[in-house]
Order: sequence, then structure tokens, then C-alpha cells
Amino acid sequence: MSEELRLSSIETRGVQGKKRYAMVIDTRRCIGCMACQVACKAEYDTPLGVNRTWVPYKVVGTYPNVKKHFLPRLCNHCDDPPCVRACPVDATYKVDDGGFVLQRYERCIGCRACMASCPYNARFMLPSHRTYTKINNVVDKCTFCFHRVTQGLVPACVQTCIGRSRVFGDLNDPNSEVSYLVTRNATQVLRPEQGTKPQVFYIGADRNQTEYGRDLYFRPDVMEEDRAAWSRNLKI
Amino acid sequence: MGDYVVFHDVAWHGIYAVYFFVIGISAALFFLSALSWFREEYRPLRTPAFYGSLVLLAVAGLMLIGDLSQPARFLNVLNPAYWHMTSPLVWGTILLVAFGVVSIWYFTTLGKGDSAGKLPAMIGALLAIAIPVYTGFDLAVHQHRPVWNSSLVPVLFLGLSLISGAAVATFLARGDPRLVAALRQIMLWGSGAVAIMVISLVITTGYGGSAEELTYAFMTSGTMGMTFIGLGLLAGTLLPLLVLAVPMGRQQTGLMAAAVLILIGGISLRYSILMGPQIVQTFFS
Repeated sequence: MSEELRLSSIETRGVQGKKRYAMVIDTRRCIGCMACQVACKAEYDTPLGVNRTWVPYKVVGTYPNVKKHFLPRLCNHCDDPPCVRACPVDATYKVDDGGFVLQRYERCIGCRACMASCPYNARFMLPSHRTYTKINNVVDKCTFCFHRVTQGLVPACVQTCIGRSRVFGDLNDPNSEVSYLVTRNATQVLRPEQGTKPQVFYIGADRNQTEYGRDLYFRPDVMEEDRAAWSRNLKI
Repeated sequence: MGDYVVFHDVAWHGIYAVYFFVIGISAALFFLSALSWFREEYRPLRTPAFYGSLVLLAVAGLMLIGDLSQPARFLNVLNPAYWHMTSPLVWGTILLVAFGVVSIWYFTTLGKGDSAGKLPAMIGALLAIAIPVYTGFDLAVHQHRPVWNSSLVPVLFLGLSLISGAAVATFLARGDPRLVAALRQIMLWGSGAVAIMVISLVITTGYGGSAEELTYAFMTSGTMGMTFIGLGLLAGTLLPLLVLAVPMGRQQTGLMAAAVLILIGGISLRYSILMGPQIVQTFFS
């Protein structure tokens, strides 16, 4: 992104001397194995019912012309994150060098203003009934595996992706793989009109999944039963 | 279909709408009590409206704390070292604390002479106007939410606060003819202003982009349509407006009926404005 498009002082993409980590997801290479979702669950002991990353899919078309589209999802680590400005106690903050949007669990009051402000449903409330990890009743989200990246590793979901659909790196480094992919391919981001400047870029994302609320009036009954069961069982 | 999605929870549940309703009434009752220092017809309201305001302020504060997932950490938001001033929740905290302090100061002046309470009344009245405005900003600052992200919302919440408070004050007026007439004026013109704002909000939402269009359809049909259009706009705003405008509205029965309808409309509008855009958002997989 060029300098003139930077509207907020919090943005670090294209700023010299700073890293701006990003993820490119090539949906053409995603086979829907959900290994990324499992790896993430294992890395963070994310409880049932909530997810830091998830892979929704949709079957579109009519037989014989059908296609199953996957759209791996996670926090977009926006360059201008609305969740950061919505948090009343600075529990959510953006790491200047790297662009990670992180959460201070010990400070979070659980007001959910960040959840309300996120256009991507990337944030969730950790339920009170976790077995091993005693971080409960605070808002959680994807951290771009801050603890791994700062040790020179890639995020768990990227590490495990067998199709190399997910690629992670520093977008401010012109020699990185993500810079190459973003430069050489037509990419999409989710809800660009919101001005959040998401740092998760998709190649080949299908509009059946990226368009807002497309399913609202075409809800399959079976999914509504699942949704009702989920609402019943999610005890915060 | 074979589709797979994960499900998402709404951020703010219905209790938040009840909080908006309660704190709005509390602020408006204080405003009416404060008005009694400057307008003689409001004099019978001075004490009962203030006590009502104080009780509702305490209830609203407890609701706000109870709604946190970490209730004990409400102290964090009182800590200036943690304040993040871009969040309206911080402004709200400051306003609520200031409102509480001024309410206690006002309480100490109630038994004194006629000029003693004027200063706390004036300061408190300004805070009472600011509080429903902040609750509107709680929603309006979220740029991706249809309906919420409108400069009308803080003004709408101010209007709803004023008419809901006047409706409650009608029951505290004990039939005092001058006071009842003044409250009728507030409810009549306030309901008119609320109706114009709600209709403007509905129309502009309907003519918006895909997110706005879906939210419009969701909020004007099905269960949410009954709450928003049926109870909120028709029964809770336009009907009391009609009742208050005709001669029946000048009688005690008509006024009471209009007050009840306004209260039903006040909670319904707040609930549907809070929940509608959030439920639609949960379908963004």
C-alpha cells in the first residue's frame, strides 16, 4: 500500500524499519482438510464452540456444475483495527513492529466492545468451563501466533497446511513470499469497504462466501438446528 | 447443502437494551427534577423524580457491572491509567461517575433554600443530557454496523430518554394539571421527533448497501419486524403520538395510556436497534 493511502498513524504497512506481518491464503490450494483449525485448537487449547481460525465451505451451483469453495478465516490483524479503538481499557492493542493485534487477558473486563466492533467475527468470549488452560471469561482471538513468530517460526496453521495454501511473512520486506504473492496475484480482502485494511489476503476467494450476510434468508433447516444447539450449549 | 460454517455469538445481549432503557429514564428524571428549579410547573416532581433517578442510576450501574464477563474488573475502567479515550465506554464511565457524584451533591441541597440546588441541578442536567447521547455513541462508533453507524443514533437515544422519563414522570405527577400539561407537551413533541428519526433511519437503511439492505429486511420482517415496526414504531411511537394529539390525550386516562405505550416503544426500539444489526452480522461466516 502506498504512503498516500495511509490514513491513520497506527498503520505500519509500508513504513520503513518496521515489520508488517501478513498472511496470504490461496483458496485454489485449500483442500478443506481443516488441519489448520485442528493445529490452532491444539496450540491454544481453544474450547469447543469457539475458534481462532475456521474453514467454512460452501457448495455452489447445480449438479453437474457444482463447486465446493473454502474460505479459511481468522483475525485479519487489520492495519487500522477497530477493536483497538473500541477497547475502553487498552486490553486490546496493536504491536507496532509486526502489526500483531493482541489481547491482554489480565486487563480485559469482558465488555465485548471489541467483539461488537469487529467486522469479521474474529473475536469470541472464552467460556468459563475450560479444562486445562485457566484463562476464562475474557475475549480471545487469533494472535498470528505471536509467540511462535517471535521465535522465528511460522504460525501453527501455516506450519500444518499441507496444500501450502496459507503463506505467512513480512509484507514490508519486498523479498518475502507474501510480498511476491500479493504483487503477482489478484488478491482480495474481506469487507475492504470498512477501511480496516485487513492483512489477510485471499487469492481466488469466492463471492458466495465473501459477500455480507448472503445466507441470511436462505438458511438450511439442518443448519438452524445446529445453530440452536450451539446457542444452547455455549455457556459463557 | 453440505455447507459448513461456525456459529458466532452476538456481542451485546438484550440486557444491554434494558440498561439503555433504565439509564435513559434515570437521566431524564433527573433532568425533569432539575427543571423544577427554573420552571414552577415542575416543582411537584423535584423530589420524587430525583429519588426515582437515583434508584434507577444504582440499578443501571449494577446491570452494567453484572453484564461484564469479569464483573470484578469494572475497577479497571475506573483507572485513568487504563483509559483509552477513543472508546465511548470510557466517556460513559466518566459521565456515570460524575452523574452519581452530582446526584449526591444535589441530594444534599434538596432540603435547603430555593437557590441552593440550582448549581448542581444545572450541572446534573447537562450530564443527564450527555448520558443518553453517550449510549448512542456506544453503538454509533462501530463503522461496519448498519443502523448503529448513524449520527442519528445518539440524538435518537436522547429523544427516547426524554420521552421515557416524561412517561414515568406522568405516574409521579399525581394529576397536577400544570405539570401533566407540561409532560404531555414533552411526550407529544418528543414522540414526534423520535418518529421522524426512526422513519429516517429505516428509510436510509433500506436504501443502503448489501449489509444495510439485509439489516433492513431483517428488522422489518419476522419476529424482529414485530418488535421494531409493530411495537417500537407503530404501537410505541405513532400511536401515543396520535393519542396525545387528540383531545383524549389531555385527559388523565389518555395520558397514562400514552405513557405506557411510550415505555413499551422505548424498550422495543432500543432492543431491536441493538440486536437487529448484531444478529445479521453473525451470518457473516
